[in-house]
Amino acid sequence: MAFISGSRGPDRQSDYKFIPRSCPIVIDNGASTFRIGWAGESEPRITFRNVVLRPRHKITGETVTIVGDHDPALLKYFDCTRSSHRSAFDSNVVYQFEIMEYILDYGFERMGVEGSRVDHPVLITECACNPIQSRSKMAELLFENYGVPSVAFGVDAAFSYKYNQRLGICDRDGLAICSGFTTSHAIPFVGGEPVLEACCRTNIGGYHVTDYLKQLLSLKYSNHMSNLSWEKVEGLKMEHGYVAQDYASEVQLFQTGTKAAEEKTRCWQLPWTPPPTEVPISEEEIARKAAIKEKQGQRLREMAAAKKSSRISDMENELHGLEFLLNELKTVKENDIQSFLSQTGYVSKQEIESAVVRVTQSLRRAKGEPVEVEDKAEASAAEKYSLINIPDNMLSPDQQKEKKRQLLIKTTTEGRQRAKQKRFEEELERERKNQEDEEKRLENPELYLEELRTKHRELSEKVEQRKRLKTNGPRTNGNQNLSSSVGRGERLNAAQKERMRLLTTAAYDRGKGEDTFGIKEEDWQLYKLMSKDNDDDDEGPDDDEAELVRITSRLQDIDPAFIPKVESSSYQTVTHIRPLTKEDFQITIGVERFRCPEILFQPNMVGIDQAGLDEMAGISIQRLPLKGDGVEDRITHSILLTGGSCIFPGISERLEAGIRKMRPFESPIRVVRASDPVLDAWRGAAAYAASDQFLLQTFSRQDYYEKGEEWLRRYRLRYTI
Amino acid sequence: MKLEGYQNMEAEVVEAEMVLPQRLSFKRVQMSEKYPKGQARARWKLLKQIIQAENYQNYPPNEPNYVNIESPPSMYPSKKFCDITGFEAPYVDPKTKIRYANADVFKRVRALPNDYVQRYLALRNAAIVLK
Repeated sequence: MAFISGSRGPDRQSDYKFIPRSCPIVIDNGASTFRIGWAGESEPRITFRNVVLRPRHKITGETVTIVGDHDPALLKYFDCTRSSHRSAFDSNVVYQFEIMEYILDYGFERMGVEGSRVDHPVLITECACNPIQSRSKMAELLFENYGVPSVAFGVDAAFSYKYNQRLGICDRDGLAICSGFTTSHAIPFVGGEPVLEACCRTNIGGYHVTDYLKQLLSLKYSNHMSNLSWEKVEGLKMEHGYVAQDYASEVQLFQTGTKAAEEKTRCWQLPWTPPPTEVPISEEEIARKAAIKEKQGQRLREMAAAKKSSRISDMENELHGLEFLLNELKTVKENDIQSFLSQTGYVSKQEIESAVVRVTQSLRRAKGEPVEVEDKAEASAAEKYSLINIPDNMLSPDQQKEKKRQLLIKTTTEGRQRAKQKRFEEELERERKNQEDEEKRLENPELYLEELRTKHRELSEKVEQRKRLKTNGPRTNGNQNLSSSVGRGERLNAAQKERMRLLTTAAYDRGKGEDTFGIKEEDWQLYKLMSKDNDDDDEGPDDDEAELVRITSRLQDIDPAFIPKVESSSYQTVTHIRPLTKEDFQITIGVERFRCPEILFQPNMVGIDQAGLDEMAGISIQRLPLKGDGVEDRITHSILLTGGSCIFPGISERLEAGIRKMRPFESPIRVVRASDPVLDAWRGAAAYAASDQFLLQTFSRQDYYEKGEEWLRRYRLRYTI
Repeated sequence: MKLEGYQNMEAEVVEAEMVLPQRLSFKRVQMSEKYPKGQARARWKLLKQIIQAENYQNYPPNEPNYVNIESPPSMYPSKKFCDITGFEAPYVDPKTKIRYANADVFKRVRALPNDYVQRYLALRNAAIVLK
């Protein structure tokens, strides 16, 4: 077979020109997989997933079409951000014929079709009772676009049944139970022909099983979501899924945690590399590092010292220069001062003097000697603020500006002094308080300590309470608190919540009866409570907190038994983080192994209110138009399980048990699995199309246009030919 | 058949033949002519709309069609299973409406964030859907 799964798509067939024109092309157009091949052969030539991806090629910018699955590594050349895998199916009906056309294009192209049309009859599968619109669109597409000479439609489950009948696995009368990708069908056969009047369909299939497993696992292991791709979960389902004989007792095993359950649990280890273990650092290493650090520190200190000394010498030089300049200035005559100064860059003698003062100060600062600038400033206050007391109208504009500046300086310095004074007084007060405390303590140490402790306890409770109120809100007005601790309520603090409550009641309560708002004085208080800045007038707690801090420190000093309370809640969460282990990267599936396939029997579990596989068999038999003559027993004696979702181990036994419950006592019941639940539909169709009588079951383009829609609606293949 | 218009692609891509050729000799109308670039496409009718257009009510009820072959609801009383563990669930959490098996699971239910609760409920089509 040319089909290579995995890295590469199917190869293009090279023998097209050797196939006779009369040989039909057989297509099993399943919702999950598309299979195409030649009538009379035992295997389809081409098989691929029935999906289309239309990404943009990164270099050329061209939108391209990729049908089926391909090597994921090659997708790096394409920009897939705006497209995903798309299917032509809605449930099990083809509705998107643009996608269908891409799929058919690819199928025929891979079959090696050459020439101007697809000059072979086509047999294509469809779902049971396909809506006429879908059927006619498909026929139109095949006739108009590919120039197919004739077309036949058949049901996949029926082909599978006929194929297995030929193999002797099932009888002329029987029941096909076909669980596909999105739907499951039960189709009874009487006299070798399917009785569509009696068939039934439940909208559940392998897709739902995989989706259920994927959702459950991603809810359970939300941190490993990226590992749980559709393909991977599908693989898990195929490998580990099974159908329980009795769901309730099977689940009981797991609930009580028996050994059998443990053995049934599977574990999937995700790729994980242990973090590098830290080697304890040796003594020498520590010493070596300390030495290096010391050396570096030494170097930095030296650099800083060198810089300082150079700065000092610079400033000394400057000072010498300035002093020299002043000395020179003394010798120069009064008239020549101007010309002399113009060479030096200074304007007046005062300026040089002030420069001397400045340099001396910074020199002192650099050498680390105390600076006594403030006294000087004090002394010269009168002349510094010389302009302040002179009225504005007596000053020139420049002087006015100067006056403003002086005013500013004066107020700021005064402010600073006041603050200093205040600090000093506070210091004194604290000292005094401590002194008093100390005296008290010396008088009666025991009593004092006890008092201090109670005070500390009271205060800390008070502060705590306030904090809680601020974040959680009081329990008394908490009806909204209780009902919804999740969602919007939780984000607001108590004050905000209270405000919201006031706003809403203000909006609604006024409607009742007469509007008396505003008659009483207190009514207007409401607005004050509502206003936004209402909730931040909390000076009280600040005082309390300060007091608490003082008492705590005092207790720490004198009480040996005192342990300061650490802020509890925030700390605990931090300390509990542990390093991730191998176990954190394991996905265990226990109950899920049979919980997910169980939805085939109980679609209710995923909210689909329809009968499960076992009940479907009963419903189908009930719907039979012609009963009696032991036909029901013959049917239940030949129940065939087919379709991709019938591969689960245990499914036939479960189905048999389920059907036995519905049938009369001692009815003959035999459930068999198709020889190949996945491929038999195509094989049956290929064998069918190879028969001489096949062409009588097809219709041509002319038939299609002449006989009309009503005829196409009634069109039904005869499966026994 | 050579891949027209795909000359500028990587050798690997061309070699894998993963891209569908733009022109196929056996087609009467090529895709690019049928669905020209940049033109708004007709929306395909969804299955629901197709069924509605079929007017099944006009046909005799004993004639099988896509709608009347559907299975009826199950005759068995539906069992309740724990949304989280899959065990049989005797209890329902009145707050989240999640079914749970025992006290241990209940603790987990109460610790679940709201969106997880909704996702669990959505699994059995019981989530609150805002429209």
